Amino acid sequence: MTEALEGSRVPVTVLTGFLGSGKTTLLNRILTEHHGKRIAVIENEFGEVGVDQELVIGADEEVFEMNNGCICCTVRGDLIRILGNLMKRRDRFDYIMIETTGMADPGPVAQTFFMDDEMREKMTLDSVTTLVDAKHVSQHFDDSPEVTEQIAFADVILLNKVDLVEESEVDKLEARIRNMNAAAKIYRTKDAVLELDKVLDVGGFNLDRALDIDPKFMEPEYPFEWAGVYELEAGSYEFAFEEGPDPAMKAAILPVANTDSVELDLARDRAVLLFSGEAHPVEAGKSIVPEAKVYELDLSGGKAAFGIEVSEAGAYALFTEHYPEEFEAEVRGSDGSLSPVMEREYAPDHEHDDEVTSVGITTPGDLDVTKFNAWLGDILQNQGPDIFRMKGVLSLQGEDTRFVFQGVHMLFDGRPDRPWKEGEERTNSLIFIGRNLDREELNKGFEACLATK
Amino acid sequence: MPRDKVAAKAGGLGTLWRASLDDYVNDLAWSSDGRTVAAADVSGPISIFDASTGEVSRRLSGHGFGTTSLSWNNRGILASAGQDGKVRLWDVGSGEGKELDGGSQWVEKVAFSPDGKFIVSSAAKRIRMWKRSGELLWESGDHGSTVSDVEWKPGSSRDLVSSAYGGLSLWKPGSPKPTRRFEWQGSTLKVAWSPNGKYIAIGDQDSTVHFWIVSHGMDLQMWGYATKVRELAWDSASRYLATGGGEAITVWDCGGKGPEGSRPLTLEAHTEFVNALAYQRRGNHLLSGGNDGLAALWEPGRTESPLALSPLESAVSTLAFSPDDRKAAVGCEDGSVWMMEVS
Repeated sequence: MTEALEGSRVPVTVLTGFLGSGKTTLLNRILTEHHGKRIAVIENEFGEVGVDQELVIGADEEVFEMNNGCICCTVRGDLIRILGNLMKRRDRFDYIMIETTGMADPGPVAQTFFMDDEMREKMTLDSVTTLVDAKHVSQHFDDSPEVTEQIAFADVILLNKVDLVEESEVDKLEARIRNMNAAAKIYRTKDAVLELDKVLDVGGFNLDRALDIDPKFMEPEYPFEWAGVYELEAGSYEFAFEEGPDPAMKAAILPVANTDSVELDLARDRAVLLFSGEAHPVEAGKSIVPEAKVYELDLSGGKAAFGIEVSEAGAYALFTEHYPEEFEAEVRGSDGSLSPVMEREYAPDHEHDDEVTSVGITTPGDLDVTKFNAWLGDILQNQGPDIFRMKGVLSLQGEDTRFVFQGVHMLFDGRPDRPWKEGEERTNSLIFIGRNLDREELNKGFEACLATK
Repeated sequence: MPRDKVAAKAGGLGTLWRASLDDYVNDLAWSSDGRTVAAADVSGPISIFDASTGEVSRRLSGHGFGTTSLSWNNRGILASAGQDGKVRLWDVGSGEGKELDGGSQWVEKVAFSPDGKFIVSSAAKRIRMWKRSGELLWESGDHGSTVSDVEWKPGSSRDLVSSAYGGLSLWKPGSPKPTRRFEWQGSTLKVAWSPNGKYIAIGDQDSTVHFWIVSHGMDLQMWGYATKVRELAWDSASRYLATGGGEAITVWDCGGKGPEGSRPLTLEAHTEFVNALAYQRRGNHLLSGGNDGLAALWEPGRTESPLALSPLESAVSTLAFSPDDRKAAVGCEDGSVWMMEVS
């Protein structure tokens, strides 16, 4: 019986976002679109009404604390009642969506699915999806902790109403959000228009899927500060520097399909991986070429110039470790200085010192299970209320399989996963998303849990 | 469960008939003459069965979005509550129903008073009391959160107990405020007042059971349950409280010095969580139903082995003994209703 139920657990999406961020627009679209799925929606302040194939039920956000000695373990009593009743019906729903009020903390909703056996048996928390009003959210960052909590909890973030804001502003906002929550998938939307499969059944809480953390998200501070997209004909160009603050700088130049910002984002992700690898030293006067390589340009002699050899006309993205203006650097063609058709800055935004951040840890090696348990237990005990989400893949000493885990505040769910593959490096990757996290302290603490060889 | 572990000759469970409803059986209620059983399913309709044949003598429309609770009085009036926010009083003979406003989007529970003259209902943060004619007599003030359960004091039609997050409230209908409060900062699910009035027990979301000794308001908390506790049943002598909250049935002995510090009886036969418990109205037998689709008959205090086990085809959702204790109706998640003969 248990096994039969396992396959039929209904995925639940929790929808959060401030008033005016577009939750209702998204819900209405989901309810009226012809997707052939039966969706039950738990909303605030609505009566129970059937809309053709759908059902909308009103909830009353009744949050209470569980008496298990855990100060942050709050759950939603109304959801236990409403969903318990819903799951009795034979005409099961394909999906359940729970809309929270604008000011709600998503924590209790998520924890309900961990804390109640019936919920856990019949439903599976699929994702927390947060809508962000790109135009107004900045006003709320400072005065409403709820906004940052909603972002911190999210598996999917819809940066909505991007049509009302300059693209460069959206870029900055996205960088800031990425800094808070490095694990979420971020989509830019207008009128909350997005393919349903990006919202439903995304597997944010699924140990099988969510924990294959994309390594590029593990370090939200990009290893480069600037990128520029140039349209270049085949031929020779020059990357010229005046005297600057550093004796060397890493750079990479990558071909891109066109000058679209989506293409630049794709190139950015490739560049992140390149920058994490070994750099090829290049002396002043030598040349670089557009390929999957990161170069270390020698600037120790002060003023310097490097050739750029382009064999094919097209669009190219140049990524630099530092801002070009720090060196008065520029790309020159035969007719002189060239301006990029698009520029992007990736430096951490020091204007905003957000309390909520992501700390990613990626360390090869095996963990001493006893030390790791003691360390994690201590963190959860002391910082549980400040840690919103936690996910990871671990390599435990003496185990042939990966160990995957995730948590919400102090609640923790983990289990052995697939075996490590032949030749695969045994690496630990984990991410903490929370308030007042000490990156250095967490890294140091984790390193100390590695088994001595 | 090996056959030899079933206590021999002390009792049995035989199937008299079986019927099928459209959906999950939410509640079962026997008429006071024991001739009919009403069964509510989660899709809404209420079926009235002839207890001896299993024939459906009447099908009532029930409540849109599901009927949650049923109660008969001694004059054959059936009260029902549902997720349409209504309480309904049915003349089962004609199938006519009178609709009352429960006071919120959904009504959780309805119960006739022991004398059959009054009805109590709970919806959202309030409880309401009605005359059996349908006239609203009284409404409580707001509880601190949604009322999870409400019961009449056994043998009294003037005393009520309600449970909600934060504890219990005792009421004398007429006053907007409770006459007494038993405070506890936790989420309550089910309340059960012992037949002698001495104890009130609650089952909790926190996998605990609480007892209050009504005379002085002292409370006891019982830990160690595997899951939340929604199943509570007192025996008629008020000695044993049977509780679910896991695969095992835990029975507290409230005789003598009471359950404090005592070791409970543990009844083991179910292989999955117990979903429903009922004691006979006068006898010593306890009936349990589990997620494993088993119905088990027990006699706690005499033996810890089941007297009889009956495999059904689906998880049990609710069960109820007949007024003469000789039959029990068992409702299941797949919509089946089984009539068992208890010997």
